[in-house]
Amino acid sequence: MFLRLVADSFTRRPRRKLLTAAALSLGMAVVTAALSVSLDVGDRLASEFRSLGANLVVTPAADSLPLEIGGVDYRPVNAGAYLPDSDLPKIKTVFWHNNIIAFAPVLEISATLPRATTVGPKTKLEQPEIPILLIGTWASKKVPLPDGGTFVTGIAKTNPWFQIKGRWFSDETPIVRKEFPPYGHSYLPGSPECVVGEKLAARRYFFADQAVVSVISATGSQDMQVCDITGTVSTGGPEDEAVIMPLATVQRLAGRGGQYRKLYVSALTKPEDDFARRDPKTMKPDEFERWSCSPYVSSIAYSIKEVLPGSDVRVIRRVAEGEGAILTRVRALLWLVTFAALLAAALAVGASSAASVMERRTEIGLMKALGAGSVTVGFLLAAEQLVLAFVGGGVGFSLGIILARLIGLKIFGVAPAPSLLVLVAILALAAGVTLLGSAIPLRRASRYEPAPILRGE
Amino acid sequence: MAATRSQNRQMFWRIVRHLLGANRGRLFVILLALGAGAAVTAALLNLQVDAKRRITTEFRAFGANVVITPVADPANTTMNQSALSRIPAPEYGGSVASAGILYAVMDAYVGRHNNEEEPVSPRFKIVFAGFSGEAFRELAPARTLERSQRTGLPAVCYAGSAVAQRLRLHVRDSLILDTSPDSDDKASNSTLDCIVEEINSYGGPEDNQVFITLAPLQSLLKRPEQISVIQLSVPGTPEQISDYAARLRLDFPGLDVRPVRQFTDAQAKIYDRISGLLNFTVGIVLALTALCVMAAMTNVAMERRNDVGLMKAIGGATRRVLRLFLAEAALLGLGGGVIGAAVGILLSIWLGKQVFGVAAQPRLIVYPVAVALTMIVAILSAYPLRRLASIRPASVFRGEG
Repeated sequence: MFLRLVADSFTRRPRRKLLTAAALSLGMAVVTAALSVSLDVGDRLASEFRSLGANLVVTPAADSLPLEIGGVDYRPVNAGAYLPDSDLPKIKTVFWHNNIIAFAPVLEISATLPRATTVGPKTKLEQPEIPILLIGTWASKKVPLPDGGTFVTGIAKTNPWFQIKGRWFSDETPIVRKEFPPYGHSYLPGSPECVVGEKLAARRYFFADQAVVSVISATGSQDMQVCDITGTVSTGGPEDEAVIMPLATVQRLAGRGGQYRKLYVSALTKPEDDFARRDPKTMKPDEFERWSCSPYVSSIAYSIKEVLPGSDVRVIRRVAEGEGAILTRVRALLWLVTFAALLAAALAVGASSAASVMERRTEIGLMKALGAGSVTVGFLLAAEQLVLAFVGGGVGFSLGIILARLIGLKIFGVAPAPSLLVLVAILALAAGVTLLGSAIPLRRASRYEPAPILRGE
Repeated sequence: MAATRSQNRQMFWRIVRHLLGANRGRLFVILLALGAGAAVTAALLNLQVDAKRRITTEFRAFGANVVITPVADPANTTMNQSALSRIPAPEYGGSVASAGILYAVMDAYVGRHNNEEEPVSPRFKIVFAGFSGEAFRELAPARTLERSQRTGLPAVCYAGSAVAQRLRLHVRDSLILDTSPDSDDKASNSTLDCIVEEINSYGGPEDNQVFITLAPLQSLLKRPEQISVIQLSVPGTPEQISDYAARLRLDFPGLDVRPVRQFTDAQAKIYDRISGLLNFTVGIVLALTALCVMAAMTNVAMERRNDVGLMKAIGGATRRVLRLFLAEAALLGLGGGVIGAAVGILLSIWLGKQVFGVAAQPRLIVYPVAVALTMIVAILSAYPLRRLASIRPASVFRGEG
């Protein structure tokens, strides 16, 4: 009988019920979208912030003071210490290896573009000697990992603001097939590829897209290197006046085989709080565990230092802190808005379910006149509201997920994944709000005297 | 004729007044719904205007976003520091923090306070950055590790943390810069003494440098009035910054003006995302407010069946009846909006404090916008009242549902 009454109430006035359910599902859709986006936004924004570039820099612990002005290190090749690049794959074995998005070792040396005379068909172009910065790094190197996989990384990933016209160089020196007529053919290493800074390219004419670079190595010998230019790079920094070559080539020119001076690491991190800023040495074991199990930039730095012997890992705090501050703020703002949206939705849904109970005064009066107790009437209405809440909540959730997808795609280009947590929260909220909304008119209804209502007063 | 019309109007407003006053409880509920909607809308609108501005200020924590250098190699050439005073203020308001810096790589050693003649530490090659004024602090935000009292001496130094660590430097130590190649030649004009007043951690390349008062460094290097670079921290959105840089390029034809792409590019991207998010949230709140009010108005429509039936029975035209209810909705919207927006602005001040640590400035424009929005929403939400037009008086009086 109870179920029949509930079913009856839905079939008797389908339009009215549809209206209430529509209001409910609209409200819940908006809340679902807000919740899904807020849950997702931290990760999305954190990865956006990686366009700021590396947030960690690794240097040799035994290094001398860098003489760095405007991003260029003016130390000679034989000053300071170096780190071996054979250790680098170990970075992807640390606990937070999934948070490490990219890394790129850098070896910078000073070099010159020697005086050159280019003879064209009608012109003769005299070019003076220009001192330049020669940067050796990885463009997009396939790094074999200890677990058998490979990881593609390089400067294009750690410094996403580098704009390349043309393409990045290949990190391997190409092998060229050469014919030697009496003996057949032979495979010889060809000239490596390189990229030239935009401003340098504007100042200097490179004949046949080849650059000749002259370098004085650590041992004092002078070496010339020809490279094929594959593109020009624009960075807004000292690289605009530099030549960038594969790391291995620069290592050979500098007489520093397998060594680098600086390593940039770009890692996804959690904004630092007061706990993260504490010195790990003063922590109790359980605190230390909690600290190293949170992707704070400092704990990632610590774990990298563990796997790279002789290294000093510093947080580029200007990047890390700026990022943390903005992330925390935006997140707080979004949670606040989500909360406001929740409240407004609760108010709207509550009001509409209150209305739906209010309009049924006559019906309640009749039921009571027929001998139903207040409790039975209450249960009946509550059951109806719950059915509405679950249907409306479910429809609202699906609508909200679509809305969240649209928003996610529009703002971040990535849709947030539908979360079960949100579904549970939405259903609970819908049920709670409708029940609460109908509770107030129900309480009034329980005090109704059937007679005046039936008389139409 | 005119008398009838004015009488009509009087009657109209009298009915509206009675409609509003008929059920105090319901009036309260609707005003609450409208007010709450208006409050949240006003708070968020205010916060959004403010948040965008705040976020751009947050980006200034990254330091300089535009640098001006001489056209050729920045390490070797310098420019006249008079350019610094010609930096214009941006047209869109706000102020540009600017600092001229002269870089030099020099030998230096630590001379302890009480034993000035004897160098107690070996000579180091250090990058010195001559600065003038205090604006560089804004451009290179730092945590101060050690600080001494102001000495008021002509040459003071702020050492970076890495330099301090390597030289075992503390505040009140003196740092001696030496230009002469061998330390035996002690001509008075080849050395410069500076007192270390602060040891700062910058979290960037400045940790390997020592900031020093500009004028003594210039005279030591025999480069009066010369600086190597001007660093600027330009406020505003990414477009405003690049417009400003373009304007500087026209103002300083002989110099190389370039935005620091690492930060400006990222800022453009992130700023777009964040302002997209904020727009989305305001949209959501407006939608919810409308929903809220619509629910309340449906309630009204339901209760008014009898009234409408009566009005129609005694000869009220449907249009006039509807106008009555629209007037009521607009009045409710106005009332709820005015109260709500006031509450909302107070709310946004508090929220601003919670989120950004600084109270959001109340923007007067938000107030009328929020009230107008609430009124529009209230009138639009009167849509359920449309059904009143189709009411037939007879069936209402028979008590049919």
